[in-house]
Amino acid sequence: MTGSTDDAPALSNVAYDDLVVDERFGPFEEDVTADLAGRLAGPIGVATGVSTAPPAVFPVLFLRALRRAMGGIPSGSILARQELEFHAPLAVDRTVAITTWVGAKEVRRERPFVTIEFDIRDAADDTQIVTGRKIIVWPTGPGEGSPA
Amino acid sequence: MSLSQEDFPTVTDTVTQDAIDAYAELSGDHNPLHVDPEAAAASEFGGIIAHGPIALHSFFRAATEWLGVEALPPGSSVRVTYRAPTRPGDAVACELGSLDGDAVEAACVKQDGTTVVSVRAVLPTA
Repeated sequence: MTGSTDDAPALSNVAYDDLVVDERFGPFEEDVTADLAGRLAGPIGVATGVSTAPPAVFPVLFLRALRRAMGGIPSGSILARQELEFHAPLAVDRTVAITTWVGAKEVRRERPFVTIEFDIRDAADDTQIVTGRKIIVWPTGPGEGSPA
Repeated sequence: MSLSQEDFPTVTDTVTQDAIDAYAELSGDHNPLHVDPEAAAASEFGGIIAHGPIALHSFFRAATEWLGVEALPPGSSVRVTYRAPTRPGDAVACELGSLDGDAVEAACVKQDGTTVVSVRAVLPTA
């Protein structure tokens, strides 16, 4: 799947009830440029020379994929937890393919939690680079409509 | 190579609106809570808050500096719990809590002592 984050709306309005567990989105291709990697290696936004993508690149790729899949994190949501597993290094100036899906939905202590899974691979050779997930407190729960 | 708790570097990230704007540009996450002062002021947070991963950034910088690498080694894992928002002007420092073999517990703490992020990580060095 091609395109860019600029094609998508800024915020999601997907209701909890409309999230379908295991429905896959992507793969979305994203370029991990030297500029992107360098601006996340040291202080954020300050260019640093690197040859390999630093770990901070991957939460950014999660957000890009989430935006392309469902418009981003919905307004009013709370990022509760994040997990990453690092499988292989990624040289800069490579293209990755990101697949994302809803891994779980559950209500705990009256709060609706949504787990969104990510799989990032080198687009050229399918090498798995990083997997991970975001656990988000969704702004709507079961039986509630889309957030305003 | 074995890691030494004493060698864990002190890395402090100061959260600035420029850094938040850069993160919004890089990630495509232009949530008004991060980039629109008026909308953020009207929210439950009462003002701009940074993207969650910005609070984690000092851990990534400290960990890679500690290991002497640009990327975390294959087999590494990082589990993050977000505990409090950060805002422009906050200084977030990563503190190593414990080291047991490759297993690390750390916290990103802002200037008033509030833990904004808790981290449990495995950082293989073999």
